[in-house]
Amino acid sequence: MAINLKQKAIRFHDKYYKHLLLIPIIILILVFIQLGMTYSSTGEFFKKDISLTGGTTATISIPANQEQLELELSDKLDGVETRTIYDLITREQKAIIIQTKSSAEETRQVLEEYFQTELTEENSSFEFTGASLSESFFKQLLIAIGIAFLFMAIVVFILFRNFVPSLAVIISAFADIMMTLGLVNLLGMEMSTAGIVAFLMLIGYSVDTDILLTTHCLKRSEGGINKRIFTAFKTGITMTLTSILALGFALAIVSSFSIVLSKIFLILLIGLGFDILNTWITNVSILKWHLNKKSKE
Amino acid sequence: MAGINLKLTWRIRLLIVSLAIAFAGIFLYSPLLLLAIFLIGLIYILLGIFLKNDYYDLIFLSFMILLVLFATIPAFLQDGVSIKSVDSNSTAMEQGFTQGEIIVSINNEKIESLEDYTQLITSIYPSEEPIKTVFKTSSGNEIIYFSSEAPKIVVAEISKTNIKTGLDLSGGSRALVKAENRSLTQAEVRDLVDVISNRLNVYGIADMAIAPVSDLSGENFMLVEIAGTTPDDLRDLIGQQGKFEAKIGNETVFVGGADNGIASVGTSGQQAGIRECDQAQDGTHYCNFQFTIYLTQQAAERHARITSELEVNRTQQGNYLSEKLDLYVDGTLLDSLLISEGLKGQVTTQISISGSGQGETREDAITNTEKDMKHLQTILKTGSLPYKLEIVKLDTISPTLGKEFIRSILIAGVAALFAISLVIFFRYRNIKSVLALLLTSISEIIIILGISSLFNVNFDLPAIAGVLATIGTGIDSQIIVLDETHSKVQLSIKQKIKRAFKIILGAYFTALVALLPLIWAGAGLLKGFAITTIIGISIGVLITRPAFTDIIKKIEE
Repeated sequence: MAINLKQKAIRFHDKYYKHLLLIPIIILILVFIQLGMTYSSTGEFFKKDISLTGGTTATISIPANQEQLELELSDKLDGVETRTIYDLITREQKAIIIQTKSSAEETRQVLEEYFQTELTEENSSFEFTGASLSESFFKQLLIAIGIAFLFMAIVVFILFRNFVPSLAVIISAFADIMMTLGLVNLLGMEMSTAGIVAFLMLIGYSVDTDILLTTHCLKRSEGGINKRIFTAFKTGITMTLTSILALGFALAIVSSFSIVLSKIFLILLIGLGFDILNTWITNVSILKWHLNKKSKE
Repeated sequence: MAGINLKLTWRIRLLIVSLAIAFAGIFLYSPLLLLAIFLIGLIYILLGIFLKNDYYDLIFLSFMILLVLFATIPAFLQDGVSIKSVDSNSTAMEQGFTQGEIIVSINNEKIESLEDYTQLITSIYPSEEPIKTVFKTSSGNEIIYFSSEAPKIVVAEISKTNIKTGLDLSGGSRALVKAENRSLTQAEVRDLVDVISNRLNVYGIADMAIAPVSDLSGENFMLVEIAGTTPDDLRDLIGQQGKFEAKIGNETVFVGGADNGIASVGTSGQQAGIRECDQAQDGTHYCNFQFTIYLTQQAAERHARITSELEVNRTQQGNYLSEKLDLYVDGTLLDSLLISEGLKGQVTTQISISGSGQGETREDAITNTEKDMKHLQTILKTGSLPYKLEIVKLDTISPTLGKEFIRSILIAGVAALFAISLVIFFRYRNIKSVLALLLTSISEIIIILGISSLFNVNFDLPAIAGVLATIGTGIDSQIIVLDETHSKVQLSIKQKIKRAFKIILGAYFTALVALLPLIWAGAGLLKGFAITTIIGISIGVLITRPAFTDIIKKIEE
């Protein structure tokens, strides 16, 4: 029965693997439409948070009602967002985070008025980033991602010295990043410096499984193509699933206290999800197409 | 014991030695012992290649473990509080408190924690009369402190490890400064760093790091990092041009800075202090400060020339010259001083500067006035910058949340490792593989921590993200090794592992090059992440994974 199923799957894949490419293509088209729509309505490809636009993040460890605070502050400060940090175990409120586009002094003043007390080192942290710095920061991170991607592509080409398979790896890494960006946008998440770092990490992670697959298919002699793909798949999916599970656990824990880390983890989680699709459909199909064509020649 | 075959491969030995060095790096304070561990480790690995004795590893390992224990245990037993900084020009400094010493007892009462220290000190000071207090330090020094006020020092709990936590975890402040409306050249930034370091030194901040940084677009910044307590007027200290001018009418008599007319600035005793405090009609309190400055001969002569042309106004309060001496800081009038008749046309090098501060209460007023005075003295001593400054980033981080954070991160890490172990166990149904994998990942963390302690790298939030990235990549390649060695292909284990390493190296190099640009992007604020990850994955490829494959080989054989 099991063998039967496996053979059926192989037969299905042999017949339809080119059609399967339609799935990532359609998703990519949707992503591009989504990005285009965001751009035409806001002038940006995604929403940026204050780490990329400039502003102040205040962390206050004085008990307060989050909703009431946000309501009160939004009249006095620019673009206010709040968030509460809880203790992991007791769920006790540890601190409240206020993000605003206003300056640090202005924020401090308004908050001191609200809390009716002086904000000192003991009960508060303030992080201020000027708009000009954020802007150049953002540009540089984009350049960093561009260079990172280019370097990665060069290494892949050197590694395999074979045009189509190398391109397949690069295409799936690209698709991975775009799809993740699309979903991040769709979820209404704002991009931050941490978010951009997550995308950078994603380049490294998503390429891992692609390299595994391509090495198995190009540099091994045992078994047919399907067999090699399947062996690679077993290893690769274990890798990705372990990472997803570990990230999931970590995310559940850090989400209550660190905005920075939860953003990184969430983006990686989404990215790894799309990586399954892009490695085992996008990359596999292109590679199989290429190898089948070559063996016919 | 003869039954145990403990013959290890050189790769496993390398891992063990690396771990020993990392442990020593994290906990040890003596470089000599560290060198000893390093040399013995080296001999152990090299000798091991030639010696084929069943007991070789056992003997050497026991010896290594004893050495590391011997070297690291003292760090755990040390009690007391360490002196983080001593206020310059304070009684504490004069009486011999030095930064870095560890206070172990006060008046023969043992100090074990920061709480002990604060409790004891607040029970003694402030006092009506000067009191003698004996501080003993770990180096055997005895400091006899005699004052009515608590010593002006900042103390902190001794850290049991050499891991230097970054500002975002341990609290402190960080600022990124550039010139307003223009770019600075590298030479200008170096000058700026000198001026501001000088300013902060004069102000009395000890635990700080100031360095020039640049970003991908070639813009130069000054990065200021101050650990521990953030001074209230940090923004002014690092962001002010600091242009001090003393004018009579429209003529400048002297400006701030040692090269520009000020020979020295009095800071203590008769030469400086708060002169009187009072309550204003609206209920707020105010105090006046006064301190003496000494002009250079040149400036004094200029003063004489200008005053000689002024007329004398005779009033009931006294006889003063027709123009006042106006003091400006960065273009704003700070104070106007009446010049007494006796100074007309006199070459006087000694000038008294005064000003005032306010506060809600008398105490507030005193604190604010002291601060204003210190600030002005600092500017007068250190001089001004030829351009205006802009603070583009300023973070002041409370130390309280950091501790909480580290605890949560540890829990998250343990949870993630647990999740990974579960998957690996269900996939391979082999507890040994799980243990080997966990061991490798934990080794990687220890070695990363060891390296950052040895090289004094700040361990901050980006670095933690880097450690997580490393573990993720590490687990991935270990899964590759496990799968390759388990594959049914007719190859020797050695060949199988060679195949696995081809994939691992491919993945390593792509990750490596992807991280490189991040070292320079954004004025190096994400450098911690890039460097930690690069160190981490390199350790993985060079040390831990080769050892892991050998361990797996041993399990498989």
